[in-house]
Amino acid sequence: MQYLLNGLPIGAIYALVALSYSLIYTASGVLNWSQGDMVMLGAYLGFAFFHFLHFGFTLALLGAMLLVGAIGILVQLCILRPLRKRQAPPINVVIATLGVAIVTRNLALAIWGPEAQIFPSPVSSAPLAIGALSVTRQDLLIVAVAILLMIVLHYLLRKTRKGKALRAVAQDRYAAVLMGVDTEKSDALAFAASAALGAAAGILVAPVFFVTFNMGAGIGLKGFVAAVIGGLGNIPAAIAGGFFLGIVESVAGGQISSGYRDAITFALLILVLWLRPSGLFLRKVRQRV
Amino acid sequence: MAIENTGKKLVLLLAVAVPLLLPLLVSNNYYLHVINLAGIYTLIAIGLNLLSGYTGQVSMGQAGFFALGTYVAGLLAINLGIPFWAASLAAIAACALCGAAIAIPAMRLSGPYLVLATVGFGEIIRLILLNWTPVTRGAAGLTAIPLPKFFGWQCSSEAQFYYLIFSFVLLGTYVAYRLAHSKVGRTFAAIREDELAAEAMGVRVNRYKSAAFVLSAIYAGMAGALYGAFSGVASPDNFTFDDSVAFLCMSVIGGSRTIVGALIGSFMLTGMSEALRALQTYRLILYGGILIFTVIYMPQGLAGLAATVRARLRRTAGRSAAASTGGEGKA
Amino acid sequence: MSQGKGWGAPVVALLIVCGLSAALAGCSQDAGKKVIRIGVVGPESGTAAQLGQGQHKAVQMAVDEVNAKKAAGDWQVEAYFEDDEGNPTKSANAVNKLIQQSKVHLVIGAINSSATLADMVVTGRAGIPQITAGSTGASITQQGNKWIFRTAANDEFQANALVRHAKEVLGLKKVATFTAADDYGQSGAKLLAAAAEKQGLQLVASPTYNNGDKDFKPQLLTIKAGGAQGIFLWGLYTEAALISKQARQLAINAQLFGASGMAAQKLIELGGEAAQGLVLTQTFLPESANPVVKDFVAKYKGKYQESPIPHAAQAYDTVYVIADALKRANSTAPDALREALAKTGGLKLVTGEPKFNLQGDDIGKYLLITAIKGDKFELLKTVTGN
Repeated sequence: MQYLLNGLPIGAIYALVALSYSLIYTASGVLNWSQGDMVMLGAYLGFAFFHFLHFGFTLALLGAMLLVGAIGILVQLCILRPLRKRQAPPINVVIATLGVAIVTRNLALAIWGPEAQIFPSPVSSAPLAIGALSVTRQDLLIVAVAILLMIVLHYLLRKTRKGKALRAVAQDRYAAVLMGVDTEKSDALAFAASAALGAAAGILVAPVFFVTFNMGAGIGLKGFVAAVIGGLGNIPAAIAGGFFLGIVESVAGGQISSGYRDAITFALLILVLWLRPSGLFLRKVRQRV
Repeated sequence: MAIENTGKKLVLLLAVAVPLLLPLLVSNNYYLHVINLAGIYTLIAIGLNLLSGYTGQVSMGQAGFFALGTYVAGLLAINLGIPFWAASLAAIAACALCGAAIAIPAMRLSGPYLVLATVGFGEIIRLILLNWTPVTRGAAGLTAIPLPKFFGWQCSSEAQFYYLIFSFVLLGTYVAYRLAHSKVGRTFAAIREDELAAEAMGVRVNRYKSAAFVLSAIYAGMAGALYGAFSGVASPDNFTFDDSVAFLCMSVIGGSRTIVGALIGSFMLTGMSEALRALQTYRLILYGGILIFTVIYMPQGLAGLAATVRARLRRTAGRSAAASTGGEGKA
Repeated sequence: MSQGKGWGAPVVALLIVCGLSAALAGCSQDAGKKVIRIGVVGPESGTAAQLGQGQHKAVQMAVDEVNAKKAAGDWQVEAYFEDDEGNPTKSANAVNKLIQQSKVHLVIGAINSSATLADMVVTGRAGIPQITAGSTGASITQQGNKWIFRTAANDEFQANALVRHAKEVLGLKKVATFTAADDYGQSGAKLLAAAAEKQGLQLVASPTYNNGDKDFKPQLLTIKAGGAQGIFLWGLYTEAALISKQARQLAINAQLFGASGMAAQKLIELGGEAAQGLVLTQTFLPESANPVVKDFVAKYKGKYQESPIPHAAQAYDTVYVIADALKRANSTAPDALREALAKTGGLKLVTGEPKFNLQGDDIGKYLLITAIKGDKFELLKTVTGN
């Protein structure tokens, strides 16, 4: 039972990242390999805000989200737009985002060095006992903020014009163009939103995991796995996938084997891809050809 | 006309003779070592080119097959004293089997799903190698992998390894070339261009895709067997996701549509990796930048660039030739 | 699809480059001067960069001192550094380069055990001595390779000392190990299990983690369920710090232990409250009262404005070991150097009094049992000999 509880904060982080992947994928069919490094950037920028500008936690969070969102737009403009213009094959787009990931990661290494940095948490990490289980305020904060962000995103997508435009593009790109939607703008917006969400995930997880230049790689990959397991292209499914993966990892790591924990995750992934490629939490969708 | 043919023949002759004579001209063991390493990587890149360049699929798990090849051949040689050629065959067989096993579920996938499946495979292999300590020796890895021996000829120096690796690269290139120019090759290209159309034309697309995948696995496996004997040691941190990324980069930057691209890509990246070592982190930033640039502005890689330049030169040459022969009255 | 044509140009270009460089590298080497060239290989970039850079700085300082003090007789020492990024393939390339281009007579390297093993193939084939000042993996000296020496801390010694401390000083009965899934960690796990069995402690769980992992709670929960009173960690400091923190978050109050691999000031900084009281073995404490140590720390701090890490201290000593061997051998011939190294004795250095056993391990290292108190390591006991 404790394993389940333990998996929730991790699951929340994975859910945020999975959401980001899904958002970009539905909007423009792009697989953003640098998503994990947006998480890392968020954590480092938040650390910088906190350390040098003495921002409080919330301010640092918002500031990092804004800045990383802007970086996201930059990436979309300079790299993804030219690729789309030249009708590049999808593999090239994946590789381009991979390039972004490599550059971002090593830029962070060059700037901040290989040493881990501490990010103080706004709440204490002393354990609270709930019966025989223990949880920390920090865990609760992560889950709470993550859910809050998801609710905000939901509202933005449903109620605002830009959000509806995004959904229109996701549903049918050509129809959206015909309807006068500026697809370029909405692509950029989708990218900015997912980058910002990644940054938020980074700051939320930084107190727990320390800030290192390669913290994004693992989270990015797992987030992607979560998105696929849940059901790529659907936001609630991605969120469900994220929490699911967090809990499975926690239970598998504790009960089954610690060394093979990641192998179990990937084996699960391959199983899902084989038997139910559209995702566990999605109604069976015809495979996009 | 006659001049053109002789020219072509001369270039072909040079292309084969120069590599043959290389060890006699380059006596520096360090350079030979790097060249040998690049040669091994070329094999992997050729396999990747067959997969992605010809059938349009992506694999980010080649390090897994590379590792499998090294460990299978290495373990057989260390534990049972099996000679190199037999161990390599076993390695290839293992990779082919694994490749087929992965291909069955994976070929139904496309785009990000396939990428993820290959990443997953690569990681699973690495974790098995790391944790299955009684068989794979865990993190310590394999040591004292025996040098290859062929009917009494022991391969131990860099120059000798050069000839061994060169033979395999030649073989690999030949096989890939024949394949590309055969009916099978044209089918591959058709699948890459438009899978749906190919299927409509009666092509058993999944079969061909699986075949391409297995082929790329075989190339990586052979490279692995060679690597084990060449370096004498192997451990799981030789075969990480970053290595899979590096192989993909070799394929893309060199040019995934041609075999020459594989050669250019692997030599360039391996050479740069050594030459720029002093730049450390900046080197990797440079790589990332080159990768992005290549993919946007040179999607066919360096080989594609060379081909475009040559084609343009030929066109201008043709035009000037027609003009100089006075033309046929058409101005 | 012309595959033949493309070959010529790049290969010819490569040829020309190779030829030129080979020619240039070949000419001019010392003629009659008494110079020994040492190659130094370590991770100067990447995750273990701090270790490689520490090694670099310490060797540079030591080489300058040795030349100034003439500690190697009338021999001059030259050091050539290469970064291997902690990658075995790159490490082997680096050693190859050092041997071919810089014509080194022996190699100090590497730090990552897998890199050292890869290097040993190259130095073995070239027939020159190799000393690792940072690798602790047991298999390194079990290869039957006569050229390898190790001046890094001995893992078996540390594991035994830690377990003995747990039993005799702290009176623990049930313990667990939580080790990294790399060469260092796996070797540690084996040694700890053997030590626990020999000394009659019950091992309730022995999970592992991957370097770079961030979430250790599943494994910690398993350990908690087993009722362990002591947890032996064996890995690097970032993970160790995280593990300590997460253990406290799960209300685990067991005594934590660690070894030299995680002995760094950063462990205290990152671990904070959670790392207080952690007991670990190391070969070097900057605050030691030993005059040799104080002298070294003062010089290092003066030159580099930072406190030396244990790897730096070990690398510093290694240069002196080499200088001493060189003075006795009075030759850079590989066999002579090797013989001289094997007979090392009578030196009192920063991390011990070096003496190599038949496998090449240094059995004269000081072993300090320390505990984290406040923002420093507090010395509990010094153990010498084996």
